[in-house]
Order: sequence, then C-alpha cells, then structure tokens
Amino acid sequence: MKPSPSTGAGLYIHVPFCTSVCLYCDFAVTIAGEERRNAWAVGVVREAEMYADCGLTFDTIYLGGGTPSSVVPERLDSIFVGLRGQLEINEGAVCYLEANPEDVTLETTTLWRQLGVDVVSLGVQSFDDEALGFLGRQHSASVALAAVEILLAAGFHTVSVDLIYGLSGQTPGGWKAQLARAVSLGIDHLSCYQLTFHEDTLFGRRLAHGLIEQVPEREQAELFFLTHEVLADAGFEGYEVSNFAAATRHRSRHNQKYWDHTPYLGLGPSAHSLANGRRWWNRRKVRQWQTAVDSGRPPIEDEERPSREELLLEALMLGLRTTDGVDLNRICERHGIDLLATNAATIDRFCKSGHLHMDESRLRPTLTGLAIADTLARSFNL
Amino acid sequence: MLFAASGGLLDDIRSFCIIAHIDHGKSTLADRLIQHCGAVTDREFRDQILDSMDIERERGITIKSNTVTLEYTARDGRTYRLNLIDTPGHVDFSHEVRRSLMSCEGALLLVDAAQGVEAQTVANLYLALEYDLEMVPVINKIDLPAADVERVKEEIEEDLGLDADDAVLCSAKTGDGIEEVLEAIIQRLPPPAGDPEAPLQALIFDAQYDPYRGVVLLVRVMEGSLRRGQKILLMHTGKEYDVEEVGLLQLKRVKTDELAAGMVGYVIAGVKAVSEIAVGDTITDVEAPADAPLPGYKEAKSVVFSSIYPMSTEEYPELIKALEKLKLNDAALTYEKDSSAALGFGFRCGFLGLLHLEVVQERLRREYDLSLILSAPSVRYRITLTDGQELWVDNPSLYPDPGSIDGAEEPYIKASVMMPERYVGAVMELCRDRRGENTTFSYLAVGRVELTSEMPLAEVIFDFYDRLKSVTQGYGSFDYEMIDYRPTDLVKVDILVNAEVVDALSQLVHRDKARARALHYCERLADTIPRQQFKIAIQGAVGGDIIARKTINAYRKDVTAKCYGGDISRKRKLLEKQKKGKKRMKMVGAVEIPQSAFVAVLKTDRD
Repeated sequence: MKPSPSTGAGLYIHVPFCTSVCLYCDFAVTIAGEERRNAWAVGVVREAEMYADCGLTFDTIYLGGGTPSSVVPERLDSIFVGLRGQLEINEGAVCYLEANPEDVTLETTTLWRQLGVDVVSLGVQSFDDEALGFLGRQHSASVALAAVEILLAAGFHTVSVDLIYGLSGQTPGGWKAQLARAVSLGIDHLSCYQLTFHEDTLFGRRLAHGLIEQVPEREQAELFFLTHEVLADAGFEGYEVSNFAAATRHRSRHNQKYWDHTPYLGLGPSAHSLANGRRWWNRRKVRQWQTAVDSGRPPIEDEERPSREELLLEALMLGLRTTDGVDLNRICERHGIDLLATNAATIDRFCKSGHLHMDESRLRPTLTGLAIADTLARSFNL
Repeated sequence: MLFAASGGLLDDIRSFCIIAHIDHGKSTLADRLIQHCGAVTDREFRDQILDSMDIERERGITIKSNTVTLEYTARDGRTYRLNLIDTPGHVDFSHEVRRSLMSCEGALLLVDAAQGVEAQTVANLYLALEYDLEMVPVINKIDLPAADVERVKEEIEEDLGLDADDAVLCSAKTGDGIEEVLEAIIQRLPPPAGDPEAPLQALIFDAQYDPYRGVVLLVRVMEGSLRRGQKILLMHTGKEYDVEEVGLLQLKRVKTDELAAGMVGYVIAGVKAVSEIAVGDTITDVEAPADAPLPGYKEAKSVVFSSIYPMSTEEYPELIKALEKLKLNDAALTYEKDSSAALGFGFRCGFLGLLHLEVVQERLRREYDLSLILSAPSVRYRITLTDGQELWVDNPSLYPDPGSIDGAEEPYIKASVMMPERYVGAVMELCRDRRGENTTFSYLAVGRVELTSEMPLAEVIFDFYDRLKSVTQGYGSFDYEMIDYRPTDLVKVDILVNAEVVDALSQLVHRDKARARALHYCERLADTIPRQQFKIAIQGAVGGDIIARKTINAYRKDVTAKCYGGDISRKRKLLEKQKKGKKRMKMVGAVEIPQSAFVAVLKTDRD
C-alpha cells in the first residue's frame, strides 16, 4: 500500500508537449516532433543531474503538462530510470500522470502500470461533445467514457477526472448532470475547475473582444456551491477549492505540498521549485530551456526569496484553499508570528460571519469561506 | 504737468486691465501686447505668459492675477510706461477683481468678433464702470471667417451703451491691429493723477510668495512715494515693516529707487506670509501717515467650508506642510485641525467659494502629490440655542443636539444672472428649485435679461453654477454677493454604512432637501463601493429616521480555480497589490470604502 502520510519532497516534471493546444490553456506547451521530444527527455535527466546534491528526498513524482500521456512509454521509462539515478527517490514514491482520453488504451495503461504510475488524472473536461468542441479538445464524450473504464479496470491506486465548469450558457441543471455522470463512473477523485480566462490565451482575447462571455459572478458562485454540495452528497470530500476525493487516501498528496510549503523540485520548461526558503522557476520557452540544459547551465529564469510577510501571506492564501486550513501553531513555529494574537479581530469577524472556524489550533474555512479564500487571506495584517 | 520722482512723467504712464468674456481672447491679447513691446524675446515667449498656474492654463481662467509694466514707444516718439493689470475671471475672486480695477484708470473691453457681446462682458463692464474706468472697446478675432464686425458694433452700442465707432479692430492671434490697441491706450486712457509729495497711500492689489524673499506685495501708488529703507504702516492690519526693495514688474522684478504716485510695482518688506497682510490694504508712511486708508477695503471671507483628510494617515504630516506652504501664497485659505472617526485627522478649511476649494484641492494633489478626501462643502450657519446662546456652525460634526436648538439661520446671497431672453424660464425654474426668493428680471437690452434672486448660499455651492451653465447652454453668467442671514429649517443628514455613521459624509441641509440629498449620496456610494463578501446597507438618516436606502449585494466567491506550483508567486503578488489598494481604503466597521466613493458623492452632475 504505497500512498501514506509523509514529509518527503515533491518532484514535478513538466511535459511541454501537446498534439494540439486547448483554447483556454496558458501552460508552457508546444507541438513538436520526435526529435525534440527525445531531446527534452534527455534534458530532464540532465537537469536532474544538476540537483543530485540537493539533499531532498522525494516521495511523489508528478508528470504534468502539456500532455504527459502523449509521451511514449519507452521514453517515460528512460526518464524514470534516469531520475532515479540522479535523485533520492523513495522506493514507495507515488507517481502521478496527467492523461488525455485519446491516449488511454489497454496497451498504454498496462505499460503505465508497469512503469509504476499510481494515479492517473484524466483530462475529461466535459461529457458534452458541444462543450468539448468549444474548449478545443480533441476527444469526444464517448472516448472519455471509454478511457475512464479502461483506467478503472487497470488497477491504479487512484483514478481522477478533471472537469471544467462555468462555460457560458451552462445551467445549474446541466452542470449537475455532468457531475452525476462523473460520480456514476465510480472514480476515486475529481478536480472541478471553473473556466478561467487567461489574458494570453485565445479565450482571453476572445473575451476581451466580446466574442465570448464570462458567466456572471453570481452564477459562478452558484455553480461553485452546487459542485461542493452535489459531490458531498455523493460521498466526495471537497478538501480543496477545486479538488474532491472519494476517500482521504485518494487526496492528491503531491498537490498538498504546494499548499503547505513542503519543498518541491520542478524539472522541465517553466517548472517551479521551492526549497530552503528559495523559489525559482525555469525558462518558459522549450528551446531556451533546452539550450541551457544542453550546455550544462541551469535553465533558471529567475528566483525569489520570499520575506517572512510574503511567506505568511502565501501560507494563508494556500492553506485557506483547503478544508484543513492553516495550523496556527505551526505558523507560529515556522514564522514566529501568533496570528491568533495579532489578528484576533479579523479571525473573530470571519468566525462570526461563518467563513472560518477554529478547530483546536487549526483555522479552517467553511464552504462559504473557501469560496472567498482570497478575501480571507487578504484580510490579515501581517 | 506733474513729474514722477523717478524722472518720468505721470503723463507717460497708463494703467489698464482687459475685461472680457471667457474665451474672447484676453490672455492672447495680453501676450501679444507684451511681445509687441519687446518685454520678451520670441524665444522666451510662451503662450499666455500671464496665466502661469497649470490649473489656469487648463481651464482657461485666471485665478491669481499677474501684472506687467511695458515700455512702449508711441507714434508720437515718446516712450510710455504701460501697466497691464491682469484680473482674475471668476465670481469667487470678485474681491480680487475689484482691487485690480481700483489700480487702473482704464480698461480694454474685449469682444469676440464672431461671438459678440456676452453676458459676462456686460457684468464686467458694470463692475469697471463702478470704478469709473475709461473704456476702450476692442473687437478681437477679426481674422475669423465668422467675424461680423458690424453686428458686434451694433451690440456694443445697444447692449453696452458704448460708442462703437471708436472700437479698435484687431486679431490677437495674427497680431493685426495690436499697434492700434497700444495707440488707443495712450491716446484714450487718462494718465494717473496723484501727488508724489503727498502723504503715502499705496494700494496692495495682490501679493505673491517668493521662497527666497518672502511676500512680494504688488502695489499701485496713489499718492506720495515708496522708497527703500522707508518705514511703512499697513493701515488695516496696523503692522509696520521696513521696505527692503521696490521696483517694477517687467515679467521679472526690476529694482528701482522708488515708486511714486501713479506707478505700479512691487514692494518687498520682510512680510513672511501672505496671511499676514490683506489685499486691499493701504500702505502709508509711519513718519508721515495719510489721514485715512483708501476706500473699498473688504476682508476676504470664507463662505464655504470643507474638511480635508489625507487618504493615508501617513500623509498627515505632509498635508500640514502643504497647507502651510499654500497659505503663504493664498491669504483667503483658512484651516484648523479637525478629526473624523472614519477618516482620522484632517483640517477644516474655509474657502472663498467652490472654485477656490477646487483650486486648493488640485494644487494639493499636483504640487504636493497628496491623495485627499474632502467632506461635503458646507456654509456657516447661525444657531440659536434654547438657552439663548448663539453659535456658528460650519461643521456638521459640531451641530448641537436638535433638542437644544431654538432656531437656525443660513446665509443668503443675491444672485445675479445675465442671459439671453430665451433662457429666462429655465433659469427661473432653477432658482425656484434652489429656494430662490424675490426673483425678478429686467431687460438690459433687446433680448438680454438680468435676473436677480435671493437664494441660500448653501443651494449655490451645491452644483448651481454647473446647472446654470447647462440650462443656459453656457450663455448664462453668474455673480453674487452676500446679503444677510435668514431663518431656515435645518436638519443634519447622516449617512450610515452597515448601521455605522460615516461622520465625514454628514451634512447640514434644509429639511425639504434632506431626502433627495440623502438618496443622492446613497446612490453614489452604492455605485462606487465595491461589492464585499457581505451585504452592505447604505442609509441616509435624520435623527433616528431612515429617509433613504440602497443595498450593495454580497459577492460570494472570489477564489481562483487553480493554485499549484507555478501559480503561487503570481497569485501572492496579486494579493499584495490588492492589499496595497486596501490600504487606500477607509474601513467603516467591516466595510472597505475606496477614496473614489468619497469623491463620487461630491460629484453633483445629475445624468
């Protein structure tokens, strides 16, 4: 039984390749041929070599993208072997893979299992073909359904499905049906993201030019609460703003590291890392990253050393996104600030308004609090 | 023939001003006269030299008058000294206009060749005639395709009663006819009278602050002469000074030995701040004083009051410094400490009028980079308490308990509006809406009407001028004078945000206007306060009665969908930015109110 609580670091590998770019996506992705994919795979291992003495021990490996499932299994294998040769990776480390439905076949899933993949996040996004077309996805609803079935049968520890809501014209009834569909499949984990319009994407530009509309805030809120309510009724624990687990053991242990300042190392273009009070991030453009790695230079774009106030703000902004909230004792130990003393009035105000509640030393958001986590984090005097 | 002590002849001096409707080209004409007399080289020339403040340039109005002495060699071969005395152009500053007019013997009455005679031209002419100034009509902009000199001449004769045959034609823009204007000044305006040997009487018609020299007094010597080293007495304030320097204003200060009767120039005498002296005061000699000061002195009185608060409390010390500096140059500005539960420490300031208020606010913002909140402007009320005690209240926070008030009185003005006949109906309605009494009108000429109305000043400071401009399509001119205090039915309107009174938004208003004003405030606040995570009730109340109400609905969600490794720095920076923005908000209870909300409630356009 591999996934269990631990304090190890997280390892993230960014796969910058897609077969086509989704209209809403703002990640660092590119469409490239075999040669560049191969160079990237070699580069990831070379980059890992630069961190051979970083002192971190990893207990999660996450392949995100991009489309990790589009990387052929042999190449994944060589990456895993290479990484284990360079970095301290626990024997029982949990391995995550993001997958697109069109890449999921009996053959690939078998190979992924053999490679040690434990958790697959399937980018379904919607069970409605029209919505999939609108989002620019390559698969159809039936392909997605088939993919879920194959994954569930393959014996992964956790099968997770990603959905997007808040598409213009989406009714609460329509969204509820989507959720019911997902739940009925018997999956272990769901990520439900509200459609976000990033400036630099085609969607962002279409929005700016009035070609598409954003769902009004009132309806967004309605869909958000509906999501949490429907999934709670179905036995899913909404442990983070957009993440739901059928049981605690299915929570994403890797993502949790981002939310509680556990160290993580990111490899590949645009990947971010955090360790020893320093955060750094890689060059975003694949070619620039590749050139640096190939010539033996760290492909780092920039770095920062967040101040105590900045770390505190992050701790609140991230912690209050999760139902576990923030452990005020731990904050006191880490940052030397007793928020209960310095922000008594703020805490009291939001407890009275039903947005927060104290649970021993933990300050936890309620569901309404989760919905305004940004406001909550902003309200503290640090 | 009298000789000026500096060697010139009184006969060689002319002192004049230019009076005109806004936009009829006053500043351009002044510039052209200066240029023609060679007081500046073309390289130094900057359009509209006399309007030096940015605000004046932008708004095309003159707030602080400037003055220049030009030397002009006329066709008769003699060199004349021409004192061009610039006058401010707004009703708030009519006191300053009067002082300027007193320093002149004549005036150029400037009329636009296309626009013709406007109401303001008439008003200014009357003002000039009060001071018995000789008038020279000048028709400007004759280069415009729409120029109609004959029609304008007719209007000058019919509307103004001046002989238009003598009107000088010019284009200040092209420079055509400028010499004719200068010749008309020396031929048709009288030289000053006065005896350089008589006891000294010099009129202070303006004062400027120079950071190196202190206050520079601009004076017109009526009788006697002013010299360096002289001991002088300011007759109204009773203060004595030693004259350090006298001289002429020729765009820069030019030192002279003395200023004799008839001359216009400056005096530096160790005056530290403009507030020490009073414009309109008379300077005399301590040793040989004049019997009496010059007539027409009036203390500049604040009639509009507002509290100024820094947006961030950290800016309070800077606000103190800025007001001290402004006061050096602006004698009409008064201020004292004030504080608000909602906005913290600030100052209660007194102004000559709304424009003066705006100018001060704008200067604090631009010259001192201060971000400010101003409370609703108020007039000064006279309150009689049941125990017979009388007090003056201009600050709603000092308004006594209504139970202890026997009666209240508010200041009234006599408003005078001049306009083409077709707007009379609209203006009468506007006056009625503003509680105008004894409204009458009379025909000044065919098609031109002067309307007078006795109105509470409080009604005028609340957007009256803007409304007037709008209903008369810009043709209405407006002037007013304070007349008396009259009984009023006063109430204090409080604005509550989630049941907490925002003291800085409280105001004193007539009972009949309370509901409308309260609603206006509630609406503005509802439009400008961003939605927060709870419902916000905005109420207007008199005593315990709620008379207006608006609600701002809560937002229920602001959290972003995704936040993983790559999003954290960016997201934190966004929150930091928002937190910074929050610092510029004022907290009332749990509600964050942005500065823009305080500004918006004072905006009065009703569209």
